Amino acid sequence: MAKKRKRTIVGSPLTPAMLDEMEIIPDFPTQNDQFQPEKNWVNTYRVWTCHGYRKSGNTDQGVLKIERLNSNTADTFTLKVSQQIIHDMGQVNLIHADILCKNDQIASPLEWSLESEFIGPDGNVKPELTVDEKARNRDGNIKVKSAGFTYDRQGSEKLSGDWCLFEAIQRFDFNKKPTITFDLYEGLSLLRENHQLFYRGLYPWQQDGKEVTLHWFQQLGQGVLPYEYWLDENHRMIMAVTLSRVYILDEQAGQKMKKTLDGKQRYYQRKLKDIKGGRENE
Amino acid sequence: MNDTKRSAGRMDRRSFIKTSGTAALFLSAPCFGKNVLPALQKSNPNILLIITDQQHIDTISAGGCRYLKTPAMDQLKNSGLSFKQSFSPNPVCSPARSAIFTGRTTSETGVCVNNKPIRSGMTNMGQWFSQKTNYDTVYAGKWHVPETHTFFIPGFNVLHTGIMGQGNLGDTATSRACEAFLRNRTSSNPFLLVASFMQPHDICEWLRFNTENPDQLRYPGLADDLPPLPDNFDYDKNEPGHLKKIRKGRGPFKGKWDKQQWRYYMWSYYRHIEMVDGEIGRVLQALKETGHDKNTLILMTSDHGEGLAHHQMVRKSTPYNESMKVPMVFSWPGFIQEGGVDDKHMVTGLDIMPTLCDYAGIKPPENMRGKSIKPILDGKTVEWHKYVVTEVPANRGRMVHTEQYKYVTYVDDSVDMLFNMKKDPGETKNLAADPNYSATVQEHRDLLKAWESKLEVAPNIANKHAWWYNA
Repeated sequence: MAKKRKRTIVGSPLTPAMLDEMEIIPDFPTQNDQFQPEKNWVNTYRVWTCHGYRKSGNTDQGVLKIERLNSNTADTFTLKVSQQIIHDMGQVNLIHADILCKNDQIASPLEWSLESEFIGPDGNVKPELTVDEKARNRDGNIKVKSAGFTYDRQGSEKLSGDWCLFEAIQRFDFNKKPTITFDLYEGLSLLRENHQLFYRGLYPWQQDGKEVTLHWFQQLGQGVLPYEYWLDENHRMIMAVTLSRVYILDEQAGQKMKKTLDGKQRYYQRKLKDIKGGRENE
Repeated sequence: MNDTKRSAGRMDRRSFIKTSGTAALFLSAPCFGKNVLPALQKSNPNILLIITDQQHIDTISAGGCRYLKTPAMDQLKNSGLSFKQSFSPNPVCSPARSAIFTGRTTSETGVCVNNKPIRSGMTNMGQWFSQKTNYDTVYAGKWHVPETHTFFIPGFNVLHTGIMGQGNLGDTATSRACEAFLRNRTSSNPFLLVASFMQPHDICEWLRFNTENPDQLRYPGLADDLPPLPDNFDYDKNEPGHLKKIRKGRGPFKGKWDKQQWRYYMWSYYRHIEMVDGEIGRVLQALKETGHDKNTLILMTSDHGEGLAHHQMVRKSTPYNESMKVPMVFSWPGFIQEGGVDDKHMVTGLDIMPTLCDYAGIKPPENMRGKSIKPILDGKTVEWHKYVVTEVPANRGRMVHTEQYKYVTYVDDSVDMLFNMKKDPGETKNLAADPNYSATVQEHRDLLKAWESKLEVAPNIANKHAWWYNA
């Protein structure tokens, strides 16, 4: 008789130390001495989700890739964002966004194009589920063009975005222990008001017997659960957590996601076979 | 959400009536092309059924909750009629959903616990609409009868599945898929679109990350912003043993929470509600920007409620009203009273199927256990439920709610509960053992017996012996 595995809850919030204990980050991202947050760079994050148990139900759910490209002028830069999230039964939601940001403290989004598309478990794009948008933000007034129509949407004079913050936070001066306030345009579409992002302090931590010092930030505001960010000494954001969703800097994120996707697509094929064979719900 | 350029080309209701001949020709065209704007019509409206997961009834800012901001739900509430006496058919996910989508009690659907399929041969809403109407039946998000997220839902074209236990990620895709469906739509048929969100169910995950009572608040700056504990945080200790067992098995008691941690949990739950509110907002925005809002009946509800510190309970499964009650808001400006609140009629998830069939102009399947709410929404005086019955997970208990009292009984438990809901809406004083209320208890037992006698109970269901089936 198979022994039933006992599920142990995590019990406390996810942090680098907790994830290390859970053996989620055995190869924590190496320190990159060359990283300069105000220059061009690419950060690839593994999107890992936790069901609240230490050993079960935890998944490499997707990949978030953010590339920063400086403009010809110093007052703007571009973020190229690509996010893939795997959904149950092997469906994938892809978001591509090119965001022209103001080179200010919160990387305010000025103009962007965004495409959301779905790929079915058969690997084909579902065109009927695609939405394309181009948008412009001027002092909190957002104009969106989609499918030949123009819409006005409410923004805010001090607007940032979740992907924009991943960039902005890396330019913070740790010594100044900054606290910033803003409204969040989540996914460049949902307005979440009254946010505050602040420096929480140093996060001393040992990995594989080596001392690692991280800088810890926290963000609170309407419409989201608190975000926590950890940056290395070179200002590179290596990890962010919001409850059960973790972004871990990881060049292997794509391969890890592929493994999850393969498993879910196989499950879909099995279910499809069951349905066709009339065995569903038996 | 502001007016759009496209609105200039849309007819208002009066213009439509004046030019109805032209409109009729327009409607008869086989295909309208992308983003066809439907003309106003009183019958066969589009139907948007929004379901959240585990939403406490008092979590809409327009309804008076001061601890959160819910602009999308506010919009629905302000533009429609909401019911204050609205109950889940069974306060746990799969059972409640089986009842909502069939109009039959959970002892009939055979789904008395999570992850069970609806009894073979029982027709769900998607199948019924597909058979009896020309509605396009479309589904996005959580299903859970039996699979939580699946492409295989009988009677529905499934746009999007979702992610088990991760509403924070999955719901965004659910709303994006609904948005795309509305924007790219070419069919001239009316639609029945189910947008079934996972949130605020992620509070269950939250509890697993916050079981341990911390030495200090994780975000000290929040201390002054935490909501107060509810008035019925303390509870009557004379409870059925099963409820005591539920409480002791859950995080707050295992982690020995102090009051601050309870309040932090409440604060966190409200953020979960705001998260799903944003996603609902995206769907409503797309509905408006595509012009479908004028011809779409919207129903927003939840499968079951959330303990939210009342009676020192978290999550669901209990017969207390925080777990049993759910939001139920109908909106269709011009056809349903705007900003109305109904505190008189008791409604349940069992009423949803007959109501939506009524709006679609079809008879519901046989043996509905609920009634169409449409006459109430039309402002008519109707003979309505004198009481409602809600089942309890694993077919272990029943709640009978009359206008004044609420009676709860469990299998194999000598302790029943009776609350005077007029004098004690927080359910803090159990009157069941008081000899002065023995006649009231008996009266409610008789109502339950009458209710049970008409049910066609699924075979092999747990605790079947305990109730009065086929009496």
